[in-house]
Amino acid sequence: MTRSFRESLLLIVGVIAAMVLSLAPFLWFVSIGFKPQVEITAIPPRLFPSDVSFTAVHEAIFTFGLMHFIKNSVIVAGCTTIVCVVVGCLAAYPLARLRIPYRRVILLGILAVAMFPQISIAGPVWRILRALGWLNTYQGLIIPYLALTLPLTVWILANFFGQLPSELEEAALVDGAGLFQVLTRVIMPLAAPGVFTAALLTFIYSWNEFFFALLIMTERDRQTLPVGIALFPGEYTMPWGEISAASTIATIPLILLVLFFQKRIIAGLTAGAVKG
Amino acid sequence: MSMRKAYSESLTGYLFLTPLLLIIVVFSLYPVVYSLFLSLHRIILSLPSLGETFVGIDNFVAFFTDPVGRNSLMVTLVFVGVSTALEICLGIMIALIIHESFRCRSVVRAAILVPWAIPTVIASQMWRFAFNDQYGIANYLVYGTNVAHYDAWLASPVSALAVIILADVWKTSSFAALIILAGLQTIPDELYEASKIDGAGAFQRFFKITLPLLKPAILVALLFRTMDAFRVFDLVFVMTQGGPGDATNVLQFYGYRKLFAEGMVGYGSAVSIVVFLLVFSVSIIYLKFIGTGILEKKEARA
Amino acid sequence: MFLNKLVITLCLCMWVSQAGASETLHFVMWKPNQPELWDRIVGIFERETGVSVIREIGPHSSTAAHALVTQKLKNRDPKLDVFMMDVTWPPEFAAAGWASSLDRFFAEEQRQDFFPGAIRACTFRGKLYGIPFWTSGGLLYYRKDLLQKYGFDPPTTWEQLVRQADTIVRGERKDNPALKGYSGQFKQYEGLVCDMQEFVLSNNGRLLDYESRKSTIGLPANLQAVRFVRDRIIGKIASRGVLTYEEPESLHVFIQGHAVFLRNWPYAWAISNDPNKSRVAGLVDITVLPHFPGGQSASTLGGWQFAMSRFSTKKQLAWTFIEFMTSPRIQKILAIDASQAPARKSVYRDPEVLEKNPHFAKLSAVFENTRPRPAMPLYPLYSAILQRFYHKAISHERSPLEKLAEQADDQVRYLLQLQEEAGM
Repeated sequence: MTRSFRESLLLIVGVIAAMVLSLAPFLWFVSIGFKPQVEITAIPPRLFPSDVSFTAVHEAIFTFGLMHFIKNSVIVAGCTTIVCVVVGCLAAYPLARLRIPYRRVILLGILAVAMFPQISIAGPVWRILRALGWLNTYQGLIIPYLALTLPLTVWILANFFGQLPSELEEAALVDGAGLFQVLTRVIMPLAAPGVFTAALLTFIYSWNEFFFALLIMTERDRQTLPVGIALFPGEYTMPWGEISAASTIATIPLILLVLFFQKRIIAGLTAGAVKG
Repeated sequence: MSMRKAYSESLTGYLFLTPLLLIIVVFSLYPVVYSLFLSLHRIILSLPSLGETFVGIDNFVAFFTDPVGRNSLMVTLVFVGVSTALEICLGIMIALIIHESFRCRSVVRAAILVPWAIPTVIASQMWRFAFNDQYGIANYLVYGTNVAHYDAWLASPVSALAVIILADVWKTSSFAALIILAGLQTIPDELYEASKIDGAGAFQRFFKITLPLLKPAILVALLFRTMDAFRVFDLVFVMTQGGPGDATNVLQFYGYRKLFAEGMVGYGSAVSIVVFLLVFSVSIIYLKFIGTGILEKKEARA
Repeated sequence: MFLNKLVITLCLCMWVSQAGASETLHFVMWKPNQPELWDRIVGIFERETGVSVIREIGPHSSTAAHALVTQKLKNRDPKLDVFMMDVTWPPEFAAAGWASSLDRFFAEEQRQDFFPGAIRACTFRGKLYGIPFWTSGGLLYYRKDLLQKYGFDPPTTWEQLVRQADTIVRGERKDNPALKGYSGQFKQYEGLVCDMQEFVLSNNGRLLDYESRKSTIGLPANLQAVRFVRDRIIGKIASRGVLTYEEPESLHVFIQGHAVFLRNWPYAWAISNDPNKSRVAGLVDITVLPHFPGGQSASTLGGWQFAMSRFSTKKQLAWTFIEFMTSPRIQKILAIDASQAPARKSVYRDPEVLEKNPHFAKLSAVFENTRPRPAMPLYPLYSAILQRFYHKAISHERSPLEKLAEQADDQVRYLLQLQEEAGM
């Protein structure tokens, strides 16, 4: 479609506005972490720093112990992602491609579970974990995360699996392959982009999750990044420089994922949502 | 396919489904039922001698008659209503922009995704600092160097709620935009061409063609955003802790305080069940409008 | 005969030393500001008694530490002998049967050396459940340079404080446009209860009569004090921003030179006089908080206490540890090396302590007047009601005080009913 001059102008203004509104607040916040301490709390505030300082970054890493929060987040988000994708693939395969009874009921049930607000399961989940002695343990957080992420993962994977042509699968079955082999040798490689998308979304979700992390990880040694940043200790001021530096470092992996895999993420978020 | 083969197929299928069902049953379904059970009892952790007596729907009655509970419900409804409405409007605008083809479109799309990818806790700290009463950028943008006029945004009931809504809109409009974009992509270009020939202007085209055809996508975006907005917690926890004077005391935060800080297990569970029922009934209403299209189409493909 | 005795003695010795070597104590504490100091004093105990102390370090915030300790006590965890208790916990822990009564270990006359407010906070229904370790209380920090410049003595009434603040802020407007008169903790959180109690009690107000089970939030004297805060302080001598401040934010305003007066705890002394952190180092002094006409200065009690788990299997040993940690000797180390305010009065008369911390002489006067927050097993709920009431009352210029107070009193009445039903 060709655009008139007015439409082009409107588009340019729109693009710029969208970019600025999306990025400017965060870029400003990032800049706080590199401002000299006196400028962070200047009244009136200064928009642009006069000098670059790495004290806050240094403080965030060494005094606040950022690396140890990152370690916990990597372990929790990483394990959640791996287990979630494995369990998700296993479950999505029969739901998308096999003839099993109550398929529809299960799919609807999964959709319903995805709607559960965290608060409605928080109390009992906490009690279960306490009974198991799993509060303040990695598995104690990973398993509730699985319960939260699996429904959408299965939904996305089933959607991707469902779109695959059936010829190869049938050929493998004729050759005498079992269903498990069909899943791992045929379906998963074919749907690799979909599997990757599901993994990405699960990772981002569990990297960012706060509510359960706050409830389950009460010991500082086990806390994940969001909890660390939300409960950032301050003695005589809110250490905004350090908070900003820690936030920047914690967000870098996510920004990279978005930059490189923007298409996959969009595909995942909209999978099954709207169909022509 | 023989009977036996079909039988073994469903057997293996269920074998594959077992881990999923196990996790969901133990850590989602059972907890909801257990919450419901707890909500019908009076359980106060710091008074163990009271025991766990069955009180029927007393906790729910207490919730709906207590001014604090009702206020919390109202705040949540205002938050959900205003933030989703704004997100959908902005989402449509963003979607229209990134649907056009222009150079560097993928860069723009990635940039718009950045707020969505940032952890909510970090976005909350960011907005909390931006609206700081002394060093915040918001005061500078509004009042310049007129220090004496600087406002404490998070100290007044209306502006505090507005700031929380703003933070939510900033963070999640792009998600709404993506869903709506997917809907836009299904509208065939020919429709526009035809109406252009008929002499319809850009606005007419938008309201006559785009909007009606986008209805399903908008409803889906609304569904997801509403469900999510009912669960707002991180923003409130970091920015206001429910204050000033309970003006941002949303249900999920209220329930969290009751359950985990005050030890009112029965009442807190009742609050959590109220959130659950709200989300569920709103979802059902939306799904009614959307129709079971999502599921049907999937079946057709499968 | 002699040989027999020798054998028995030898056996006893061996048994004692063996027992000593294998004895362990489990101790849960919150995350300390000075971990080295804790390593040191616990180390001294271990060396001198041969008991090994296994420490579990809880989270830094009181609420999170509360969650950790109560969770262990609910589980009757045998791996918990001694723990640290915040000043509002004793009634709850006593009522729930989690903390052991310490009366048989700690005689009446031994309590004389501790600040009375601190001992009162550890007492529930006439029994003692904790031994104060360090104590704290609200005090008034002020800029002695500014008060001197305008010829003011430190204010003794709130009215004086408001007038002085007004005059100074007006006089300094040109040089320091960001200067405010007052800074404190008025966010909707536990600190609000502490700050507001000081206003209310210094107007002869009363919040809770525990014995007669009556909540009196709506008492005219109380509301008068609340109204004073709403009309004269918030948005007037203090910015409206204080409604969002906890301790760190309120202190920051002060050490940036943006406040004449600050209400805070003793920890703020060292920071406001540290030239690396504070722009007003050396210009700061402290005094007791002001009061209303006819009232008396009231300072909210803070601080941490040692307590013993009722499920401990080594109560005698646990007591040895508590006794050691609260002994004058350790209290002195605490005062000199950590500048923490100990709970024993005698330490404040020690010349070595005073040489290191000259301001302790003034603190001692503050701690004599500390007032605990109302004691009740359902304190967390009670505090939530008060926080809600105060914040609503002071964050609207025309808040309906009487109506809000009535609602709050109703809510407290329900809590008192529950407690009565539970036999408290």
